[in-house]
Amino acid sequence: MMRLKSILVEFRGTKGYLIIGISLVLILLPILFMTLDLPFPANVLFLCLLYSIMAMAWNLLFGYCGQFSLGHSIFFGLGAYTTMIGMLYYNLTPWIGIFVGGFIAALSGLGLGVILFRLRSHWFALASMAIQEMFLLLFIPWTWVGGSAGLQAPIVSPDKALYFAQYAGPYLYIYIALGILAIELIIFYIIVNSKWGYYFQAIREDEDAAKSLGINPFKYKMVAMFFSALFTGIAGGIYVIRFRFIDPFVAFNLITIAVYILVAAIIGGVYSFIGPIVGSFIFMPITEYVRVYIVSRFPRYYGLQVFSIGLVVLIISLIAPEGVMGLLEKRGIVRRRLAIPITLSNKEVVEGG
Amino acid sequence: MMVDPLSILNAIISGILIGSVYSLVAMGLSLIWGIMDIINFAQGDYMMLGAFITYWMLVLAGIDPLISVIISFAIIFGVGILTQALVIDRIIDAPFVSQVVSTFAILLIIRYGSETVFGPYTRRVETWYTGITYNIMGIILPLPEIIAFIISILVTLILYIFLNKTYVGIAMQAVSQNRDAAAILGINIKRMYWFAFGIGVGITAIAGTLLSTFYPIYPEMGAFFTFLAFIIVVFGGFGSIFGSYVAGLIIGISETVSALFILPTWKDVIAFLIFVIIILFRPTGLFGVKASS
Repeated sequence: MMRLKSILVEFRGTKGYLIIGISLVLILLPILFMTLDLPFPANVLFLCLLYSIMAMAWNLLFGYCGQFSLGHSIFFGLGAYTTMIGMLYYNLTPWIGIFVGGFIAALSGLGLGVILFRLRSHWFALASMAIQEMFLLLFIPWTWVGGSAGLQAPIVSPDKALYFAQYAGPYLYIYIALGILAIELIIFYIIVNSKWGYYFQAIREDEDAAKSLGINPFKYKMVAMFFSALFTGIAGGIYVIRFRFIDPFVAFNLITIAVYILVAAIIGGVYSFIGPIVGSFIFMPITEYVRVYIVSRFPRYYGLQVFSIGLVVLIISLIAPEGVMGLLEKRGIVRRRLAIPITLSNKEVVEGG
Repeated sequence: MMVDPLSILNAIISGILIGSVYSLVAMGLSLIWGIMDIINFAQGDYMMLGAFITYWMLVLAGIDPLISVIISFAIIFGVGILTQALVIDRIIDAPFVSQVVSTFAILLIIRYGSETVFGPYTRRVETWYTGITYNIMGIILPLPEIIAFIISILVTLILYIFLNKTYVGIAMQAVSQNRDAAAILGINIKRMYWFAFGIGVGITAIAGTLLSTFYPIYPEMGAFFTFLAFIIVVFGGFGSIFGSYVAGLIIGISETVSALFILPTWKDVIAFLIFVIIILFRPTGLFGVKASS
């Protein structure tokens, strides 16, 4: 109880007002969009929130625990497919389905963790990417989950609309994403401010040193993986509720899921608690604008969009690897909460070479 | 399924032929990895560039792929030095995360930049020896793959001699063993890194050129070959030219032989599965000289 109180004390003053203000704006914006009938900004806001959920989840594993995953679309895809299959085959309401999906994603995260956490650094990244490719290749010929054509949820009659969470327009779905993001923020805030959060950072800095201090790296990486996969899976479920459609290329897409998430997190700043959210709100509007207004008109130039994403990522990783929040912290505009890793300025010295 | 011995023999031979091209991609990766401790995620995409250079040389200037071997090596060698000077030099001492993110960004830039310029189409290189096959007592020998095999052996030998007999090659190995000591002895570290990256991606571009004579080329082809290169490097061990070569042949053979028994869809799944299993249980490779951290 004391700890909870000490956490709440943090939010007295400007910070508290800022959070209340931003929440109010986010709650009122969909209503504004609905009354003015603006589907494009509503869609963008929805995607910003959806990718915020996933980027936060990804960053729990990376920014805190130091595990660079290129396979988060596995969890997104499993969450999405579970929700969809629950709806289509078992008449399960997606209100429960997204959590079932999240839970299945979390369990598969633990399964992957058992295999992949034996690996370090780039090996982890590569193996997670390879396993994601395997999921894609396995789902394409699998007819029970719709094969390469995917699954489409039919539009239901109005009396069942609430049960299947179907609403007209993109507006009300924003609240689902907003609610999940709020839950995620609270849970993650408690986690990273507990002993776990410090264990995570110790593991990120030096796994062997953490081990010698009695921290079991495997155990805490699994904890981080569980929550990371859980919320990525739930995000997949939200996607299915919103778009009523899923196929293997959407679900297990390296670029639009795994890469977008990490790009959003890196732009916002991976060594900051809310950095991934800031990054999503910068990255998604731009990329959505490009997709809807430029790429859809010239589909031949789809590559240009990903090309420019690559360019942005390269520039950020070269000149400002700490992202937007890192820059703000450096200028003293935002107070630093999370320890920046001790940058190994000279690998040779550290390795004793 | 019954498979007769002749088709197994044919599969083994075609595995050896294509495997020697695979091993060139892997050697480039291994060279960069061994000397600079940089993991180049974009390796397969430099190979794709090599294949496209060959294609355009043939279409626009009528230059035969056998001559473009040198041209694509030279161009990609330059591109590699440019990459090294603009990007890799800045991240060589950065934490591993910056390195992964940067080379991954290079991958996105090259792969999707090419897709923008060339379009997402599949192309084929047609030369005078395309489609020529020899049939010797039931053993099928396609000419383009034999040419690729011979050139890849030559390139491997040249690389071996370069690394072990020339000043630059020996200096590069010295840098990989102990950078500070090499610097004290008067080796220009930066120059060596430029050479290492340039040659590393240049060799891969040669593989692209050789491959383009019998394999469809498209901007996203690099993805598969990057994985393949990693599998081979892991299998053959780091910094070992010989290891990479043998591992490339083994991977090539296992791919063509397994294609006799399993459906094409499952072939790639099994390749990825092998990759994960190998890096889990054999992190130093079959002929490993040093373990990766």
